[in-house]
Amino acid sequence: MTNLLNIGASGLAAAKKSLQTTGHNISNVNTEGYSRQRVTQHTNAPVFKGGIMQGTGVRVTGVRRIHDQYLERRILSNNTEKNYYENLHDQLSQVENVFNEMEADGLTFVLNKFFNSFRELANQPENDVIRSVVRDNAVLVTKDFQRVHQTLDNLSHDIDLNIEQEVNGINSLMSTITYLNKKIANLEAIQDETGDFRDQRDLAVKKLAKSFKISTYTEDDGSFVVSAEGVGTLISGGHYQELGARATSKEDNSSKKDGSYEVFFVSRPTNDITSSFKGGRIASFLRARNQDIEGLKKKINTLAFNMANFVNAIHRRGYTNNKAIDNTQAKSQNGQIIGQQTGVNLFKVPTSIENAAEALELSDAVKKDPNNIATALEAGKPADNRIALAIAKLQHERVMENGASTMEEFYLKSVGKIGIEVGKAQFDRKQAEAMLTQSETLRERISGVSIDEEAANLVKFQQAFDASAKVMQTANDMFDTVLRIKS
Amino acid sequence: MSRVSENSSRRVIDYSLNRNKRRMEELQYQGASLKSMTKPSDNPVGNVETLSLKSRLVDNEQFNKNSEYAKTFLTNTEQVIESLTEIVGKAKEIAIAQSSDFYSPEARSNIANEIIHLREQALALGNKRIGQKHLFSGFKSLTPPFDSKGNYFGDDGHIHIEVAKDFFVPINLTGRELFFGAKNEIEIDSGKDPLKIKADKKPELQINRDLASDETNKKDNYTNQKSLFSQLEVLASALQNDDSKLIQSTLENFDAIQNRLVTLRTRIGSVTNSIMTSQNTIEKETINIAERKSTLEDADVTKLFSDIVRQQNILTSSYKATQGMLQQSLLKFLR
Repeated sequence: MTNLLNIGASGLAAAKKSLQTTGHNISNVNTEGYSRQRVTQHTNAPVFKGGIMQGTGVRVTGVRRIHDQYLERRILSNNTEKNYYENLHDQLSQVENVFNEMEADGLTFVLNKFFNSFRELANQPENDVIRSVVRDNAVLVTKDFQRVHQTLDNLSHDIDLNIEQEVNGINSLMSTITYLNKKIANLEAIQDETGDFRDQRDLAVKKLAKSFKISTYTEDDGSFVVSAEGVGTLISGGHYQELGARATSKEDNSSKKDGSYEVFFVSRPTNDITSSFKGGRIASFLRARNQDIEGLKKKINTLAFNMANFVNAIHRRGYTNNKAIDNTQAKSQNGQIIGQQTGVNLFKVPTSIENAAEALELSDAVKKDPNNIATALEAGKPADNRIALAIAKLQHERVMENGASTMEEFYLKSVGKIGIEVGKAQFDRKQAEAMLTQSETLRERISGVSIDEEAANLVKFQQAFDASAKVMQTANDMFDTVLRIKS
Repeated sequence: MSRVSENSSRRVIDYSLNRNKRRMEELQYQGASLKSMTKPSDNPVGNVETLSLKSRLVDNEQFNKNSEYAKTFLTNTEQVIESLTEIVGKAKEIAIAQSSDFYSPEARSNIANEIIHLREQALALGNKRIGQKHLFSGFKSLTPPFDSKGNYFGDDGHIHIEVAKDFFVPINLTGRELFFGAKNEIEIDSGKDPLKIKADKKPELQINRDLASDETNKKDNYTNQKSLFSQLEVLASALQNDDSKLIQSTLENFDAIQNRLVTLRTRIGSVTNSIMTSQNTIEKETINIAERKSTLEDADVTKLFSDIVRQQNILTSSYKATQGMLQQSLLKFLR
């Protein structure tokens, strides 16, 4: 009879535990990364008594989280991929904006205006006003080259700051994971429940997978290891390798640009590991900065360098129209140059292709006086427009890439390329997003809480609780009956 | 389908709503701007083509402007030639009338004054300018080409204007060509290197096949003596000196000059024609470019708005489906 009471009590305890777990599930229905839990219960060891086996009730053996580790792994790699393309698309969209001429005028337009103003000047080379217009348009060209270059530089610098922040985030995630590793190890040692901590650790690992491709495994001694693909072990049990980011000189970084931020292990500060990371945000930052932005900058610089040199080469051959004085020789009087001169540059001669766009500006002579813009091939001929015609003709001349394209085509190729890259990144992003959603939905199907299910369980376990209580009551009644016999 | 949990259905809902709304947003933006693309990535190839078409439109605008300028210049030149033809005609009439010995020396000297007057008119025409630019000075446009003695101070520069891509036309006649009869072959050339346009090449003496008499042309020397001004001077002094032989001899020179003016006028006419032809071509091209640009960057309105309506319906039905899913719960039925 005591047996019966015990059996009832075990059922009561098991039902209570199940109700508790159901409550825990319901309250965590919206908790990120939560896996629903189930009470595992077994029959108590039966006893052999009076020649027969007798059941002794139920025993709660633990609380298990419903969880598919292979699916979790797939989510990790989906997450890495999605974040790579998402971030790449975000970064490249910003780059694309620099070259977007659908709504505002850009380099194509100002270059076109510049050459056409030379055509206008060729109509009336005697006209001072048109000369000023030409100079204004030339200034716009230099300004726009600077704008493009400057904006690209800023974007590249923003990426540097982003990398630094990313590394801070990575460090704090790694410290969270190591903390949870220790916690789980401790709890496991005393056979306690670790499901909730494991959920938290999985969540942290998932967040870490946004930054780069990682793989996880558990060592034979039970310690949890996280390693970044291409870089090596980052976390092993209760220890992690702290990462750092800092500006480096162009000799020892991946972008070949002074001041670029690179990632390294704090313990090994000389060892640049930035480009070793595979996938994720770090790799997409790096690609946008080193490949796309730097590539475009090189193109823009090449264009600025060549444009300035081509225009100058023709312009230098010409004679300026300094008040059209019929005087073939320039004379210097008290430092003042009067009369016509030749050999004047329109743009300041660029010193190197590198940074040519940023340094592009008008020559001092033209800056000082628009009359120093040359139109004539011979001195003393105010209506001679051959230089102006020749400069205007440069617009349609295939002078870039060994005669393969005009300056406009050369520039537009870059615009087209970034457009294609953004389009590709957008497409890949959509794909990766769909993949991640799919596997996360799958995870929620397996591990997510269903209110309906829990509601049904609530009823089920309550009834079990009620019934177990009834069993105890019955046992009690039986005791009473027996005791009454005695009196 | 396997098990459904609260979050799995929420995810499906989120994903499909988000996808539908994103599509809706794209269409909405196209509807508001009526452009099928707003950034290079919308259509990289089309975007680049649009930009280069836009650039060609601006070029054509400038070529049109250049053509108009060239036409003004040419019209002015033509007017001068017309007036000169009249002057030469008058001088010739006088020379014919005076080549007999019918008139008295007194009358002739009066008529000589008229010739001197004609010469001054011709001189004024030779120094004609538009704004600050002299028509007949060649490249030395700011210098008056002729002094009162009829000496030429200009040069032989031919001003070219680009009236279509790589199509350069000469727009001016130099004083030497117009008044001295120097023949300078200027072809209306395309794709020429402006830096190679010959400037001060001294016009060569050439046999002009267009002119009536070979005899005249052989004599048509590149000297002051054979200029229009000097011919008028010769006539005037012949009249004053009552020298009918000399008067007669000027006749054939006037004929030659008249023929020359006709030839030059034809040349101006052919340049003007070629400019108008190229303007027509540009106009047609501009229409074609505008059409192409529109197909590339403008949204197909009919399709767009039917797409918007369709997308709205899709969105509404996914809201309805969501409503059914979100509001149902077993808990409601357990009371």
